[in-house]
Amino acid sequence: MKFRTFLTTLTLFLIAFNLGILIIAVTTFKDTVNRAEERSLNEHYFIASALIKDFHAVESRGTDIDGSVGALLQPYSYLSGDRKVKLALYKGNQLVYSNRLEISIQSHFLEPPKNGSRLAAIQHTDGRTYAIVSGQLPAPFDLYTMVYIYDTTDAVTAWKHMKNMLFFAGAILSGLLALGLLALLNRIFKPLSQISQTSRYIAAGAYETRLPVFGHDELAEVAQSFNHMTAEIQRQMTELIAAAEKKQQFIDNFAHELRTPLTAIYGYAEYMQKAALTEDDRLSAIGYIMSESKRMQTMAYQLLELANLNNDGIEWETQNVSELFQSVKQTLHNKIAEKEIRIEFLCEMDDIRGDACLLQSLFVNLVDNAIKACGMGGYIMVRAAIEEGRRTISIQDNGRGIPPEILGHITEPFYRAEKSRNRKDGGAGLGLAICKQIALSHGAELEFMSKPGEGTTVTIKFTTS
Amino acid sequence: MAAILIVEDEESINELVKRNLQLVGHQCTSVYDGLTAIAEIRAHSYDLIILDIMLPEVDGFEVFNKVHETPTIFLTACSSLSDRINGFSMGADDYLTKPFEMLELLARVEAVLRRTQKSKSSFEAGAVRIDFDSHQVFYRGQLVECTPKEYELLEVLVNNRNIALSRERLLELVWGYDYEGDTRTIDVHIQKLRKKLGWENVIKTVYKLGYRLESHL
Repeated sequence: MKFRTFLTTLTLFLIAFNLGILIIAVTTFKDTVNRAEERSLNEHYFIASALIKDFHAVESRGTDIDGSVGALLQPYSYLSGDRKVKLALYKGNQLVYSNRLEISIQSHFLEPPKNGSRLAAIQHTDGRTYAIVSGQLPAPFDLYTMVYIYDTTDAVTAWKHMKNMLFFAGAILSGLLALGLLALLNRIFKPLSQISQTSRYIAAGAYETRLPVFGHDELAEVAQSFNHMTAEIQRQMTELIAAAEKKQQFIDNFAHELRTPLTAIYGYAEYMQKAALTEDDRLSAIGYIMSESKRMQTMAYQLLELANLNNDGIEWETQNVSELFQSVKQTLHNKIAEKEIRIEFLCEMDDIRGDACLLQSLFVNLVDNAIKACGMGGYIMVRAAIEEGRRTISIQDNGRGIPPEILGHITEPFYRAEKSRNRKDGGAGLGLAICKQIALSHGAELEFMSKPGEGTTVTIKFTTS
Repeated sequence: MAAILIVEDEESINELVKRNLQLVGHQCTSVYDGLTAIAEIRAHSYDLIILDIMLPEVDGFEVFNKVHETPTIFLTACSSLSDRINGFSMGADDYLTKPFEMLELLARVEAVLRRTQKSKSSFEAGAVRIDFDSHQVFYRGQLVECTPKEYELLEVLVNNRNIALSRERLLELVWGYDYEGDTRTIDVHIQKLRKKLGWENVIKTVYKLGYRLESHL
């Protein structure tokens, strides 16, 4: 593009410039020639008029004109002082006088129009240029034709010189222009090549590359939009990478979670097949196989639940909060009794909209977690109230709490707090991920606040009524 | 035979490894987290540690770094190459990924014990004594003539004692993968061993499976 612009501009300029020079040259040439002709005509007229007077004088004295022509014309030949003027006088076709006539005169000059007008022309002979004027002398001497020849070679040479100078200067100017144009184009195209360079970097993966923005012109605007685009791309790439990493993490975790029960199930089955076992050994091995199978079953069920939550919409129905709490209490009754936990349900609002099963599952999960966090004789408070105009349910325990560094991760599927979760409490590591998903599908926010050693408060803030 | 410490937080797998190793006569101790493992290794001397990498409190790599004069086999669910390389570059003696097979576990344990000279150089059961270094078998103090294949078969049976081995597996372990013989070869060799060592009741035929050398020490 740059090269093309350069060539086009330069060509156009050269054509215009040289055409200008040419026109000037031609005009000047015509002017020179015209002036030579003009001058020759004037001279011719002047000499012819003078000659007529002389002829009259000679005739009145009764002397033969033809014999004294040489003497009469002599002074006119030297009139111009230089050797540029040549004179010739013909009587009919007969040359009666000439001076320094080195050139041959074409015959039509010898037959000028009879009406007294004169012939004027330019003739090139032997590298010299002549202005030739021929005309009959006025009557009664119209037998005579006088030819005036003016050598304009010098003027033409001067013109040629000037023309050459012009073209030479033109060539130099064109060269300078070409250089200037190139510099200018380089300057104009520099941001463009910068953009293409930067695009290449970005395409190669260096998403943090930006264009420098100078001034407030169109190019600065382009650079700004370009930078904006790059920033967007970078942001989206970062998001994609994060999402992909999360997915990979999920798969890795899932594979890992699957391996442990598989190892145990296969291992105990193989053990039973190959070793000679006592009845006790056999029973305990079967016990392991069954409990590990159960674990895989739970995991499969929860994964399915998570997947369904991601895909399906929920059924919006008005639910009575205290009824929900009642069913939670019933579901977890045994665990609560086992740990001698004191649990309180405070209900300050009547109903909530959502899916009965999912909401119950959410509350059961969260309360179950609270029970796990509590030691013997712990205290749990479940409270439903309207705070800041939003229906809010909070579950507070005085258990062991969650360290702040892992608080942000606990809703990730299969997240392990310490690389290895103590599974004595059971669970596949999907509980809170499911809770979060349920909350999300109800348009609610799930918030965890915790102080290690003091307890945890989970708050569910519903955004919709 | 050897004193082995099993460090694995999953109770079911810890127990599984323990039972398998006990079958072939090893002394096993189970611990379930890193801190206890370090204390245990410092308090007692072990011939081998089976160490899970993902442990509560202190992870397996850290445990290994603290006490790495004891031969260690890492046991982990991480099968990624970087984890393996990490384990080996730290000087682990071997690496076992979950899920593993019983025979694989035993073979690796045996290999590490032999490499670190912690395995016994002989095995005795009843009137039979086998010297692993010289590849000699004695019955009532008398040297028993065995072909090389008979000896190898005997060694495999002893190393995996109390575990039933299928004929195919025995063929593979003794004759190699590319052996194209019949599994009847195994039966013939087993008969010969039983006769030579008076082990009609020690090398048991397991119905529909194969053979098992039973020995409880």
